[in-house]
Amino acid sequence: MSRLRLTIKGPAESGGLIAINGSTPMDNIDPRSLYPDYDVLAKRTSLSWNDATRRVIDARLAVPREPRFFSGEQWATLVAVCRRILPQPADRPEVPIAALLDNLLRTDDTQGFRVDPLPYDGPAWKQGLVALEAEARAAYHAAFPALSERVQDALLKEAQAGRLHHPAWAPMTAALFFKHRILTDIPALYYAHPTSWSEIGFGGPAGPRGYVRMGLNRRDPWEAREVGATSQAPARALTRHAR
Amino acid sequence: MTKDADNRSAAPPISGGAIPEASNIARAPSRPATDRVYERSAHDLHAAAGLIALSVLLDSAVEHYRGSYHNKAMFTPLVTATITLTATAHGLRAPAGLGHAGRRGIFVLAVATGAVGTGFHVYDILAKPGGISWQNLFYAAPLGAPSALIVSGLAGFLAEHIRATPPDESARVFGHSVSRSAALGSALALVGTSAEAALLHFRGAFQNPAMFFPVTLPPVAAGLLGFAGLRPAVGAYPVTQACLTATAAIGLAGTGFHAYGVARAMGGWRNWHQNLLDGPPIPTPPSFAALALAGRAALRLLAHDASRAGHTPARAVPP
Amino acid sequence: MRCHADTDTVDFVIVGTGAGGGTLAARLAEQGFSVVALDAGPFFRPLLDFASDETAQNQLFWTDKRVSSGTNPIKMGGNNSGKAVGGSTVHFAMVSLRFRPEWFKSRSILGYGADWPLDWAEMWHYYSMAEQALAIAGPIHYPWGPKRPRYPYRAHELNAAAKLLARGCEALGYRWSETPLATVSAPRGKSPPCVYRGFCRFGCSTNAKQSALTVWIPRALKAGAEIRDLAMAGRIDVDHQGCATGVHYVREGQWRFQNARNVIVCGYAIETPRLLLNSETACFPDGLANSSGLVGRYLMTQANQAAWGRMEDEVRWYKGPPSLALTEHWNYEDRGKDFFGGYCWMGQGPLPIEWVSVQTSARGLWGPALRTEMMDYNHQIGVKMVGEMLPNEDNRVTLDDDTDQYGLPIPRITYEWSENDKRLINHALNQMTMSLAAIGATRIFPQDDDTNHLAGTARMGFNRETSVVNSDCRSWDIPNLWICDGSVFPTTGGVNPALTIQALALRTADRIKHLAARREL
Ligand SMILES: Cc1cc2nc3c(=O)[nH]c(=O)nc-3n(C[C@H](O)[C@H](O)[C@H](O)COP(=O)(O)OP(=O)(O)OC[C@H]3O[C@@H](n4cnc5c(N)ncnc54)[C@H](O)[C@@H]3O)c2cc1C
Ligand code: SF4
Repeated sequence: MSRLRLTIKGPAESGGLIAINGSTPMDNIDPRSLYPDYDVLAKRTSLSWNDATRRVIDARLAVPREPRFFSGEQWATLVAVCRRILPQPADRPEVPIAALLDNLLRTDDTQGFRVDPLPYDGPAWKQGLVALEAEARAAYHAAFPALSERVQDALLKEAQAGRLHHPAWAPMTAALFFKHRILTDIPALYYAHPTSWSEIGFGGPAGPRGYVRMGLNRRDPWEAREVGATSQAPARALTRHAR
Repeated sequence: MTKDADNRSAAPPISGGAIPEASNIARAPSRPATDRVYERSAHDLHAAAGLIALSVLLDSAVEHYRGSYHNKAMFTPLVTATITLTATAHGLRAPAGLGHAGRRGIFVLAVATGAVGTGFHVYDILAKPGGISWQNLFYAAPLGAPSALIVSGLAGFLAEHIRATPPDESARVFGHSVSRSAALGSALALVGTSAEAALLHFRGAFQNPAMFFPVTLPPVAAGLLGFAGLRPAVGAYPVTQACLTATAAIGLAGTGFHAYGVARAMGGWRNWHQNLLDGPPIPTPPSFAALALAGRAALRLLAHDASRAGHTPARAVPP
Repeated sequence: MRCHADTDTVDFVIVGTGAGGGTLAARLAEQGFSVVALDAGPFFRPLLDFASDETAQNQLFWTDKRVSSGTNPIKMGGNNSGKAVGGSTVHFAMVSLRFRPEWFKSRSILGYGADWPLDWAEMWHYYSMAEQALAIAGPIHYPWGPKRPRYPYRAHELNAAAKLLARGCEALGYRWSETPLATVSAPRGKSPPCVYRGFCRFGCSTNAKQSALTVWIPRALKAGAEIRDLAMAGRIDVDHQGCATGVHYVREGQWRFQNARNVIVCGYAIETPRLLLNSETACFPDGLANSSGLVGRYLMTQANQAAWGRMEDEVRWYKGPPSLALTEHWNYEDRGKDFFGGYCWMGQGPLPIEWVSVQTSARGLWGPALRTEMMDYNHQIGVKMVGEMLPNEDNRVTLDDDTDQYGLPIPRITYEWSENDKRLINHALNQMTMSLAAIGATRIFPQDDDTNHLAGTARMGFNRETSVVNSDCRSWDIPNLWICDGSVFPTTGGVNPALTIQALALRTADRIKHLAARREL
């Protein structure tokens, strides 16, 4: 029945993309928002938000910026790791990823389960950061935060590929820690923040007011307007009304 | 009998304030004498055409706003409906003869716009995945909406014809009796409007029993009206009249129901940004009232025909 | 709400108020039985309590300690079950599909899995009842399977993602349909029509969603049932005659015991076996209802792989319920398959956190590459399968040495995909990828690791040796102990399970009424 057989997994160098219809790898490493003037927070007082939403987002924006769950050294490593996993835009409010993670683990607001042989989230994070630090010191005789960005990236890539084997990881593996903790929690926290929603043009909270225009290339006045091929000027005027 | 019939037809039509206006005009010394029945029928048809044009104007404004006016042609019904509305307003007040040709042209334009609009809407449905499917009938461009403009134009066109007919002649359009054309046309339009309501109320799963009214009563009224239009004219149509009055009432009540529907949606009227567009359309139910008005005008003309057939001399307007 | 004292011996105590338990609470109370339904989670008021936020709505999920292991460990938490009055239906995606009739006899007709001790035609009747009760918004004509009555509410308007799915199906020559959904397209009672806000999987803050919380629980309360929230059942007691006498539960930090003539367990495929295993006694050393040794075995999840791509057009898939259109082609077509079972695929609308988890888990992206990729959020398109995984005895729930906040041993979940499962997934990934290619999507990539929905672990069957409950959801071993939720499924089919669970609960309620009339309870 399947008229065409495809390789189910695209080659690694294309980031897993399958070669049909075009799959240029993303070597353009300069993340550019299509919505430079969109700010989801402009809708905060509109009908797109209800009180419950305002409460939780306000609390998120006000999260204390100092560690209460992690030790000072773990915190420093974590901050450095977060910078490499999710480099942040210069022109928008910073997402305090490390602080959000610290708060989440302190209040144990996690998914609850653990995947064998990883410990539960809190202990896994503490142990993983210690192990990463140990790897940095073993290989470069320096603390992870003190390494250059290039070296930090290299070390993280080794962890992702499962090529780090310091005993401090046991019973986890570097690969499992990277996949289930680093690459699960850090992106989730960045994309839980209004900064990222504005950046990618997500409508953000929606309720009681939802959406009306559902079709292709249609948007409601309270959604972000894309500045693509079109000139920036009209978009500037229009997205300000996205509230 | 005829006298009786005349009394009936003198019952105030739905658009309340219009009557004294009309008789004022009729009494105006500067005007040539016209048939009182023609005068009033033309008046009511103008009013009907105007009300429908208003409904089209508001409805297409809202619906095409929802469609973000992504095609410039989506402004057309707004423009045409506005012009049509102006023409009907003018027709209601202007002395007979004045601006007649211009208004006629406008009403023809309305008919043409409605026809082109229907074409656009058919194309919109066919271009969507699924083609002619319930999904597209429910949610793509509505087929019935542009034809309201056709109805408005036709009603206006008939009104012009009637006004231009001298008292001693029987009004005809393209060789057909105006009274019959008006009766059959209004009946057809009522059926169409009812069909549209049926489609949309089916989409709404007839969740409120009141949603059955506009799909049951107007077709009955339409049937009676059509029947009247096909048979030899008689002096009075009390049942048909009553049904049309009820249809008009449904149309007006419908607006209230739809306003309640908007209030009941999430966020209610506060969320009008969404609910005016997604909720039940507030401007559409009055079309029933407009068509009932046109239907009553048709009945009046039919009764008038009957009185002529009985060789009762056309009476002048009582002083 | 009518309230019972713990010392009242009620006719039924129900553990869990989700798709199975909520339905039973309503139907049994409506039949005049006295009912207390316990739920470990809170009784939410969606209009006040639900935020439009992926993170904060973690409050809906079962996030107590669990261990997932095996070759293909199942993701738990938000991916799998709820902890709230209304159960997982509070955050489910509302897709309400019927089984293909043959699946009730997949062993004898299709040659795999196990037969259900039920007749599809009877289930067809209960499906209709469930669809009416839930005011399912569905198409006028459903293209697959035997005739069914018209859905009570009309299908929703398709969003762009659903229209693209339809285009893809048309290009491959497959039929597609609007998805029958448990969210209203017109007002119904206190439910306003859906506003297409797209947060369905994180709780519907408008109450448009027809979940157990908005449909069955109000009916249960009206009929006199008591819903006791924040009440975690830890153990079922059994007397020396081998009959259940009631349930130990913890509420506000205190252990209490509710007396009951019958106990119905509706905790879903992890918590149900866990409660039965945790209730072991001298008479039942392997746990209750477990003489077959099958409690906790034959755990099934469903393949939930996806294909994703990018369109030149703006799709903005965050609008509307995520799965507005689907194709069940490969559930009803048996030719051209190198595997047993079926699958459907449906439209998708992941919100940012879910979307980034796809990019990281399927492609391992991070750094600037990840953020660059995320910028295309509004152009993204995807289709996701719900695929049948075969029952396997070794996929199971057992008790771990560790304990949870109540001091109860936690469940350990072990899972491995079979060769058949992998062939099915491969087939589906091929097909879904082609459907995206056919509509001109670029940058297509597969996501090959996701699963969703649970079933099995207390399977129903024809005899006490090979199953835990009979066709009435009554345990073979303990006559007044019933199990009625996703865990009784012998096979899981290629569609989402909640409608089948509710149909089953409706049938069970009728059977209980019938048995009570004959004094056979
Ligand atoms: C994200 C997501 C989306 C889904 N989408 C769909 C969909 O679109 N269509 C579909 O058909 N299905 C869907 N499902 C699956 C569906 O929700 C479940 O299959 C269904 O709700 C299971 O019903 P149940 O009665 O077995 O258990 P649940 O509905 O999970 O109810 C179990 C209840 O029991 C309670 N409980 C458990 N143990 C105890 C205890 N010891 N004491 C007290 N209370 C206890 C829990 O708190 C819970 O409330 C989805 C699931 C998820 C996670
Ligand atoms: S899209 Fe509809 S069903 Fe989903 S959360 Fe919003 S209102 Fe509820």
